[in-house]
Amino acid sequence: MLSNVAPSVFNGLILGAFYAFVAIGLSLIMNLTGTINLAHGSFLTLAGYLAFTLVSKGTSFWFALILAPLLTVVVGVVIERLLIVPLYKRDPIFSLLLTFGLSLIAEEVYRLIWGPNGVPFSAPGILGGGISLGFMQFPTLRLFIAVVLAAAMVLLALFLWRTRFGLRLRAAIQDTEMISAMGTNIQVLYMVNFALGMALAGLAGVLASGLLGLSPTMGNALLMPAFVVAIIGGMGSLFGSIVGGLLVGLAISVTTLFIPAANEVIMYILMAVVLLIRPRGLFGTEGLFG
Amino acid sequence: MADHSISRESFLKGATVGAAALSASFPAFVPSRGEAADVLKVGQIAELTGVYVDISQPEVYGAALALEHWNKKGGVMGRKVEVVVEDDQNDPGVAVQKVRKLINQDKVSAVFGTVNSAIALSASGAANSLGALYMVTGGHTDPVTSTQCHWDVFRTCHTAWQETQATGLSIAKKFGKKWYLITPDYAFGHSLASGYEAVIKKLGGQIVANDLTPLGTSDFSTYITKIGPAKPDVIIVLLAGADFVNFLKQANSYGLLKKFPVAGPQAELEPFLSLPPESRVGYWGVEWYYNSDLVYGKKNTQAANFVKEYRAKHGTPPSARSAFGYVTLDRMLWAMNEVKTADPVKVARKLENAHFETIWDGGAYYRGTDHQLMWPNFFVEMRPNGTPADKNDIFNVIDRQPADKISKSAAEQAQVCNLKYPS
Repeated sequence: MLSNVAPSVFNGLILGAFYAFVAIGLSLIMNLTGTINLAHGSFLTLAGYLAFTLVSKGTSFWFALILAPLLTVVVGVVIERLLIVPLYKRDPIFSLLLTFGLSLIAEEVYRLIWGPNGVPFSAPGILGGGISLGFMQFPTLRLFIAVVLAAAMVLLALFLWRTRFGLRLRAAIQDTEMISAMGTNIQVLYMVNFALGMALAGLAGVLASGLLGLSPTMGNALLMPAFVVAIIGGMGSLFGSIVGGLLVGLAISVTTLFIPAANEVIMYILMAVVLLIRPRGLFGTEGLFG
Repeated sequence: MADHSISRESFLKGATVGAAALSASFPAFVPSRGEAADVLKVGQIAELTGVYVDISQPEVYGAALALEHWNKKGGVMGRKVEVVVEDDQNDPGVAVQKVRKLINQDKVSAVFGTVNSAIALSASGAANSLGALYMVTGGHTDPVTSTQCHWDVFRTCHTAWQETQATGLSIAKKFGKKWYLITPDYAFGHSLASGYEAVIKKLGGQIVANDLTPLGTSDFSTYITKIGPAKPDVIIVLLAGADFVNFLKQANSYGLLKKFPVAGPQAELEPFLSLPPESRVGYWGVEWYYNSDLVYGKKNTQAANFVKEYRAKHGTPPSARSAFGYVTLDRMLWAMNEVKTADPVKVARKLENAHFETIWDGGAYYRGTDHQLMWPNFFVEMRPNGTPADKNDIFNVIDRQPADKISKSAAEQAQVCNLKYPS
């Protein structure tokens, strides 16, 4: 049994990194605008399908890995400008209902365009094999995903903490009206922030469809763990999302090893425990939704 | 900054529009059952949302073809037939509400449908409590036609028991008797696992592990890394739908499919087609297939037409799921037409033990003892890239098992199933 633990821990960390990535996209949008984006999973799926279409039209996987998220950003920003912007100043329930509706519509639209069945989509051959880690043979694709996710997180952190725009974004999260009064165009901030969230969703979507089956429901299946991760890590904390993601990934993976049937409920148990001890989440700011 | 609070005026406007929209969906004058003399309504429940949508949709399509055929022939009892399809959201509780809604509100004469075993059980209970006929299309769990059978409930797809008996012996012969089971953690999976346990006990083999996976699991990596050290002869995969796809795709990425053979009671065409060719491997039970002489020969024009029309409409070949939908509705309407009424008792009596020829060779019948459809089961090996003429043609059917060889006997079933017709 012990020989299984190391692979499980490793699997869990990579799964967790994935959840963290989706959760960061959610958190970004939630922090600045209070929008609980239930359509996040749909954008993830969209990117997967766009990559699938690009690849089946002869584009290389690597190009699709960049282009599909960019296209997702375009679609996302158009939807944000047209539908979500009018709801920013309202109670979060409005945008929650809107994005819930959007996710239902999106699922049906994907079904109409790409069919109700999944479509075969796999990463290129170079990522298809495995790499020996000594204690186990690990799929190259998963390692690749981990590297891409880590690189994207570092880039995001640099953007938020090392650029003037990032500074404004973080300031706006603390006090939107003040930053607006000081001459920053708040709508541009909203838009870029949403675009960032979409880019993360898009990247996660393309990577996920190499790993999971690409079907209209793929993204929504990843949404629930991502919410749990965001709550455990603490609303408003990107670092919290990373820690929360890794914790959830580990918990799921190790539970699977010993009590497989309980591996789904474990993340909710973890969430309940964290909320009991620390209601704002591990690294959350208090009263974000005051 | 603009004031975004809701004014009284806009609230009233919204409320009025909302109320109008809602009331439009609940018409005040609903004809009671039988009143609309020119239309015969039947209801179908299906998993149009959730993880089983890809295998549920073909059941709806298959039934739609049967509906078209009957309406072209002039309907049933001279009345046009209409199918009301309800999405049960892959939730046994919602399914119960939908069955009640179909019967009480839409006034359908009978209900059929579902791919989900848990729903097959909950929906058949709901229909039985209302005294309505319900035909399960694709929920395989055993109790539906054994311990929890009802006089007004019939089932078209095979039982989990039949599937495991049909495949278990061949799997042992081909690969060995040390099995590793990957089982979805609900009624269908449990039924299959106990079927295999019975087979392996008979053969004197061993189940080295039976891992339960929650429905809708997206990451199987930890399950996969556990399998290697257990060194089974064969991995038996009992998953279905999206779970099945995720498992095989990930097992392949860990190199597992090259080390261990995989097999299972039930391969479905839809999930396999959504897998990349390198993950299309294994040895599986199949309930019906659109292109094999072992399923139907050249003389079976009904089958050939079914395949042709289905492909023309949907661009994809019909699957076993399409066949369930088609045969179920076709038989239900046949029985109603024969007895010239939708009376559930009379229709149920008519269906019992009535032999019929259909889209496979050798015919079939719903057994009187337990209302289970008795029909052959097939074995396939994979043809990952299809044939040059048809890339969807990925199953190579290599064997056929007749119903009586894979089923519990009528006498055995009579011990556990009491249909309890109303007196």
